[in-house]
Amino acid sequence: MSSKIVDSLNIDLKSLDRKSKRGLFSVLLVTMISLVGVEISAASPNPDEVEIGRKIYMEGVLPSGELLKGVRQGAVQVEGAQAACETCHRRSGMGSLEGNFAVPPITGRFLFANEDDRPLALVDTRQPKDITRAHKPYAESTLSKAIREGVDVDGKDMNLLMPRYALNDNEVKAVTTYLRQLSSELAPGVGNDSLHFATIITQNVKPEKSDVMVKMLKAAFGQRNSSQQTYSGRMRMPLDLIPRQLRKWELSVWELKGEPETWAEQLSEYYRREPVFAVISGVSNGTWSPVSKFCQQEKIPCLLPSVALPPDEPSFYSLYYSKGVALEASVLANHLRAKDKNKPRRIVQIYRDDEVGRGAVKVLSEALKDSSVKVENRIFPEKLSENLKNIFKGLSSNDTVMLWLKPTDLVAVNKENHKQFPRVIYVSGFLAEEDYGFVSKEWKEHVRVVYPYELGEKRRKNIAGMQQWLKSWSIPLVDQVFQSEVFFDVLLLTDLSSQMIDNFYRDYIVERAEDMLGIGSNFSAYPHLSLSRGQRFASKGAYIGRFGSDGKLVADSEWIVPE
Amino acid sequence: MTYCYRKLYLSTQYMKIIFIILGMLLMSQNLLADISSEENKKVQASQFTKVVADYKLPEVNVVRQDGKKLSFLKELNDGRPVILNFVFISCSAICPMLSHILSKVETQLTKDGQKFHLITISIDPENDTPSALTVYAKKFDAGVNWDFYTSTREASLTIQKAFKAFRGDKMNHASLIFLRPFAGKSWVRLEGFMSPDDVVAEYNAMLKTQ
Repeated sequence: MSSKIVDSLNIDLKSLDRKSKRGLFSVLLVTMISLVGVEISAASPNPDEVEIGRKIYMEGVLPSGELLKGVRQGAVQVEGAQAACETCHRRSGMGSLEGNFAVPPITGRFLFANEDDRPLALVDTRQPKDITRAHKPYAESTLSKAIREGVDVDGKDMNLLMPRYALNDNEVKAVTTYLRQLSSELAPGVGNDSLHFATIITQNVKPEKSDVMVKMLKAAFGQRNSSQQTYSGRMRMPLDLIPRQLRKWELSVWELKGEPETWAEQLSEYYRREPVFAVISGVSNGTWSPVSKFCQQEKIPCLLPSVALPPDEPSFYSLYYSKGVALEASVLANHLRAKDKNKPRRIVQIYRDDEVGRGAVKVLSEALKDSSVKVENRIFPEKLSENLKNIFKGLSSNDTVMLWLKPTDLVAVNKENHKQFPRVIYVSGFLAEEDYGFVSKEWKEHVRVVYPYELGEKRRKNIAGMQQWLKSWSIPLVDQVFQSEVFFDVLLLTDLSSQMIDNFYRDYIVERAEDMLGIGSNFSAYPHLSLSRGQRFASKGAYIGRFGSDGKLVADSEWIVPE
Repeated sequence: MTYCYRKLYLSTQYMKIIFIILGMLLMSQNLLADISSEENKKVQASQFTKVVADYKLPEVNVVRQDGKKLSFLKELNDGRPVILNFVFISCSAICPMLSHILSKVETQLTKDGQKFHLITISIDPENDTPSALTVYAKKFDAGVNWDFYTSTREASLTIQKAFKAFRGDKMNHASLIFLRPFAGKSWVRLEGFMSPDDVVAEYNAMLKTQ
């Protein structure tokens, strides 16, 4: 409507100075207000207020299409996405921590409720005493003053990080409406006395792996359910003294069978029967794409599954340990490029023609595109009984190969190639799954492992906690890396849920995980895990490892973080 | 020598009165839709502390936004006065604010014909790769006097610790800017909410006292 008026007046808004613009805006506003009655009686569709509020809150875009503008710290202009409420108060509206400043929750339940009815939330985990700030309940008028002038309901100036926004009455109202509905209901899977999670096992995962994962998750859930009132019996930690609903954690195991194309349907059926709050862990031998798509579509947090190649698609709800074999390929490219004059003339990639193999090969090929290293790709025969000779045709002892293969295939390659083999044989640490039985005496000097985990003493220390825990629950150690991932998942989950108190919203748990992952002890096989807003892969590098004289894998490079 | 001060342009009471008058003025002119930055600026206050300190800085390697591997100490001690801060790209409020301030500082000091070196160190170096830093630099219109550095995680931690800027995790970062006239001199450490003008003023004051 306003654009029509501007058109009819034939005015070029850009050519006006600020004062004239304001005058014009006032005229327009009055005209618009007087026209509102006519609009309503004519039953023309009113723009959805929640949607207007969402665009301002999430994207920093005003209904006019112009960018939201605010002034931070008295002088710093912010606009658009940088000024959007979401940047600090986050998608859930539950707030965040900005350095030393706790950004408070601003959903309707926190702003407008009387203090006695207001939920409890903990923004700064370093200050567990500072739970929900005591303030008078906001009304629309006081909230408007906070948004536009930076004065809170108690008349105090707000933190200088909070921009003072240039919003009109209608826009403030839309934001208010948006805040009233934001994170207003607990997520599916959250009961009065239960919290439901699922873990996902895709087809063809070794039973000893899936079994040990389920055993670990069940043991951890059991441990957590029997000790949720106080932490080791002490009444010292303020966090544990916060009154909260006692919820029993429940675990469903979703097994996906058959072709990946049918998984979406299977997942929907599982979810229909057992709505879950989040997916914890999970394991796949090949693709994970249908699961990631499902989590994104249903807005289910999918926390740190163990997968070799996370799907290459943006996703808010899925967090991963790393980019898997794609990370290894980038690390290897970096490593080879850094060799300067010692760069190999060519590298031959041998891979299984599946999603993981193709994914790895593609990344390395692209990463070496403009280098002097020629990349050649050869497919490993589908059946081991087929002749392996073809894939090694023309390879000499001067060559460099990258074998994107699993241990059984590597054993076959070693058997075939035990006499004349390439000078450098790179293998994938992910795919090797810690099983280096294929490294024969002849190969030992030649094998290099692209290794995305910690090594040596640091690694031993990192996983010592898990080993003790496994012993105490009589759970076998089948795969150290994999089990350390599952162990880390449950530790993170207990931390997250403890700090979320009763605010079980899905966006909130993802945001908390982004902020918290790097805090606290590292009990994983990785050197360092950390996420941040928008980051989805917690570990970002790898070593190139070789076998030492004692047969143990040692680092042959620094920790390489690719571009 | 250590001293702190807070600058409060206006008392709280005074501000309240201004707000009421401003509010009435705006209401009467139907201008609530457009609160300009000038009006806000008047009622804002800078709040920062200033400390003069000596830091023992480490001999570590850093990687500049153009991918060049360099010695951190050599970058600091190239003869130009240094203005240094820490950021991480995925940080939502404090870092963009600091970068915005430094952007204005660079414009002002360049206009004043000063020779200086702005140094921004990443505290999330594994994520903030040289190419990511190049994009970040462009976003804040970084000129020729402003460089961004990544490093190994260990080197970044060592630098943060040397400047007593490490708070246990990147999420705990503080709003800090460091100034130094030349190698061998003490650092001026500014912490809190400052405007670009505050930083330029502190920079000029620092040069004057040398």
